[in-house]
Amino acid sequence: MKVKIISIPVQDQEKALQFYTEKLGFVKKVDVPLTENNRWLTVVSKEEQDGTEILLEPSPNHFEPAKVYQKALFEAGIPYTQFNVDDVQKEYDRMTKLGIEFSVNPTEMGTVKIAVFNDSCGNNIQMVQMI
Amino acid sequence: MTHYLKEITRIKASCYANQGQLDTVVGTRHFINNNYDKELNLNLLSHTRFTSKFHLIRLYKKYYGQTPMQYLIDKRLERSKELLAKGQSITATCFEIGFESPSSFTTLFKSRFGLTPTAFQKKAIFTKSDKK
Repeated sequence: MKVKIISIPVQDQEKALQFYTEKLGFVKKVDVPLTENNRWLTVVSKEEQDGTEILLEPSPNHFEPAKVYQKALFEAGIPYTQFNVDDVQKEYDRMTKLGIEFSVNPTEMGTVKIAVFNDSCGNNIQMVQMI
Repeated sequence: MTHYLKEITRIKASCYANQGQLDTVVGTRHFINNNYDKELNLNLLSHTRFTSKFHLIRLYKKYYGQTPMQYLIDKRLERSKELLAKGQSITATCFEIGFESPSSFTTLFKSRFGLTPTAFQKKAIFTKSDKK
């Protein structure tokens, strides 16, 4: 078995695509139209384009428990997904200039530095730097 | 304050209160990052941080979840991928990242990544030319 795809639930796929590519710097990998306005839509890290794909999945719009779970996590401030970066402070500075909101500012936690931001699609995302 | 912020504060106080231990393991990791291409062993690593090697292994594993030597191997193998993708030969790559035997490097590489360094290199170069 191999890890090829992880899912992130999003409320609006087009908005999510813009956020993940234009603000976070990911690259669109696969975009297949499915029923109605739904797409099989994945993005990858620019530095690791053969790496794990992120599926921007519209589950909160189609499955009530997914919507409830996403909302509960968001309100508790819990990030369900995390990305690694070389320098959390540098990314924090870059992203705040783009208007991205942070619920946890850069914080050292033992052997890592973390920060948590709002992806504007219903999720908290954590950035992690190994120190 | 969100539930997550409260949890972070609680975990930090309970798991990361010992700054001396943190300095030791973070210092060891930085030392490996800067010297992974040289001959490194536990004796040397523990001398740089003035600890016994058994204490260092225990501490490092407690904070990073793997031993210093496991991390060193990971670091070397990641670097080898960069060098191979640039077209450097297997033997030169093997020595540059601090391994001593090209055959054991090849075996380790294959067990970790599922393909030999040669196959990885062909794939990396082919993918690069494909994107142009």
